[in-house]
Amino acid sequence: MKQLRIMAAVLIGKAVLALSRLWGNQGTVLPGYWARKVYPSILKELSAGVKKETVIVTGTNGKTTTANIIAHILRENGETIVHNAAGANMITGITAAFVAASDWKGRSRYDYALLETDEANVPLLLEEISADLLLITNFFRDQLDRFGELDHTIDLIKRAVDGSAIKLILNADDPLVSCFAQESGCEAYYFSYDANAYDQNDSQENREGRYCMVCGAPIKYEFFHYAQLGKYYCPNCGNKNPQADYRASDLLMRPFVQVSVNGNRIQSNLPGYYNAYNILAAAALADHLKITPVIIRQAISSFRSTSGRMESISVGDRECVLTLVKNPAGFNQLLSAFANDGQEKNLVLILNDNPADGRDVSWIWDVEMENIMREDRHIKKIYCAGQRSGDIALRVKYAGWPQDEISIAGDIKQGIEKSLRDNSELIYIVCTYTALFKTRKILMRLKNSGYSPKNRYESPLSEH
Amino acid sequence: MTSFIIAHLYPNLMNLYGDRGNLICLQKRLEWLGYDCRVKSLDIGDEWNFADVDMIFMGGGSDREQSLVYDDLQCKKEELWREIKNGFPVLFICGSYQLLGSYYLTGQGFKMEGLNYFDFFSEGGPKRLIGNIVVEVKNNNETYQVIGFENHGGYTYFNDTTLRPWGKVIKGHGNNGKDHTEGIIFNNLIGTYLHGPLLPKNPAVADFFIRVMMARKGINIDSGCLTDKIENYARQQVLAKVMKIKS
Ligand SMILES: [Zn+2]
Repeated sequence: MKQLRIMAAVLIGKAVLALSRLWGNQGTVLPGYWARKVYPSILKELSAGVKKETVIVTGTNGKTTTANIIAHILRENGETIVHNAAGANMITGITAAFVAASDWKGRSRYDYALLETDEANVPLLLEEISADLLLITNFFRDQLDRFGELDHTIDLIKRAVDGSAIKLILNADDPLVSCFAQESGCEAYYFSYDANAYDQNDSQENREGRYCMVCGAPIKYEFFHYAQLGKYYCPNCGNKNPQADYRASDLLMRPFVQVSVNGNRIQSNLPGYYNAYNILAAAALADHLKITPVIIRQAISSFRSTSGRMESISVGDRECVLTLVKNPAGFNQLLSAFANDGQEKNLVLILNDNPADGRDVSWIWDVEMENIMREDRHIKKIYCAGQRSGDIALRVKYAGWPQDEISIAGDIKQGIEKSLRDNSELIYIVCTYTALFKTRKILMRLKNSGYSPKNRYESPLSEH
Repeated sequence: MTSFIIAHLYPNLMNLYGDRGNLICLQKRLEWLGYDCRVKSLDIGDEWNFADVDMIFMGGGSDREQSLVYDDLQCKKEELWREIKNGFPVLFICGSYQLLGSYYLTGQGFKMEGLNYFDFFSEGGPKRLIGNIVVEVKNNNETYQVIGFENHGGYTYFNDTTLRPWGKVIKGHGNNGKDHTEGIIFNNLIGTYLHGPLLPKNPAVADFFIRVMMARKGINIDSGCLTDKIENYARQQVLAKVMKIKS
């Protein structure tokens, strides 16, 4: 009887998937929704069929890239995996991934399950899935609308793993993550960056974790890698970074990350400190899964970031770099990546406030926007667009940019075209989540139509 | 050159959701008017001297942080109340607004004492009050629409009916989602649930504080001598969006 229900759920799920694809959707959530309607325990049943291990990747920043790197390493090692798509990281999206990866009888065809999910979703997921490993990248303030405050979320995850056999892979440099294992009592492995040339003595970016998670006293830092990540200690109770099992040394960013993880020299195609952590986390987890250093090294060097995390699209002779930002840490990382890159550029900042973007746009005031004024960032012009173009323009104004030199459009298409007509060859387009897809579509249409800003060719988009 | 100092209370504990936008705003506007303005952080254990500062600002924090602040304020509370009664300019947001009342009973049943300056209390409600908010306030004898965002689990109720709410809720929830009141105003103190960039989006409120700070130094300024082109655009954009939505 149970077997019949599983088959029915999988069949319905697969049918919905086929239909969604027929209608041009990716079908990353709906198949899961319908499969669960038919048989609510479907995820429990399908996830029990994972042959080797089930891995959950969570944290505020970098979980998508980290999970994508791990997926790439596993595939390069010849493994079959279930991996939920970016943006489909709630329980229905994860169910959909299992439905798609199973055969029509609901039998498993996968060695590993690699599940990326939001912090607040981890407890729910653990109710249905028995996971072997939980990787936590970091805890930054994010997703305020949906989950309330950070402390509460951390507490929920702690309670969910408490007493279970799950092993933790944790960031030893993040005081909010690293003290996690002590209270949960789980077996934990840590990754950490050694001191290096990119560290700073002070961090203005983020105040998370400036107080000891154990005793509440202010903690002190010897140095910061970025935001609250660094070498810390509590003068009151002695709480400090745990001993690292995976040590990253000799970091170079030119601008792409090169680093040695326990002596394994890795060269990547990803820029910035945030990616340095994604690479380290992925390498640590892969090593834990007994993948060889050679495979890890080769897989990371052949990994390229996908789907607009940072994507380059050329329109005529304009190079447009499309970037997703969703919180101050990500925005700050982008602005510091401009430092000393030697390239003159225009910025297009597109801010939307749909639920998926976060309805509250207050976070833009926590961005160190004043950095746009620095000469070594080489920013020539700034354009603002999107549903909250006024708010982002205001932030730019109060960062010190002359207000008459801020170009504002409510309409994204209009904002992009304006920026393309300007004579800068390099344009960084910084978008929140829902603006990203729209922007990408607009750029692809312009690119494919042969739009050339130089020839004052009338844009095909303005024709009605 | 005349210079101003704004005290930012407990910036490491009480600074949620872009609250520092308010300080950036006051600092920049004073700078554009030709004055110098510095922000001075006062943390737990620091000494205060009211003679050295021109205004006090405190943002929101989590429950745990709020109670640390309450403990530290014990030895300063009498002096702060005396200054508030004397018309010292003060802006308290979210958690720090709740601290001005008698207590805050959280949804988990944890009771945090307040400074008891005013006879109002806050308690956890059935759901967090979240969303864009428009409040009508009296500013400089004119009606002004204050635009912002609120996100609070505490519902605030006034026992003392002579207390003046800061304004009337046009869209959104305000103090408790029921009586259409938002915040509190007393002399030159404003307490409010509008977190994040309250002052940049509402330059008339920023200028209210600036005028008070100046008057206390014997300087008079005309309001509206700064160009608020982008401010007005941002206000119209949000108003158009918010007023369309059924409440
Ligand atoms: Zn401690």
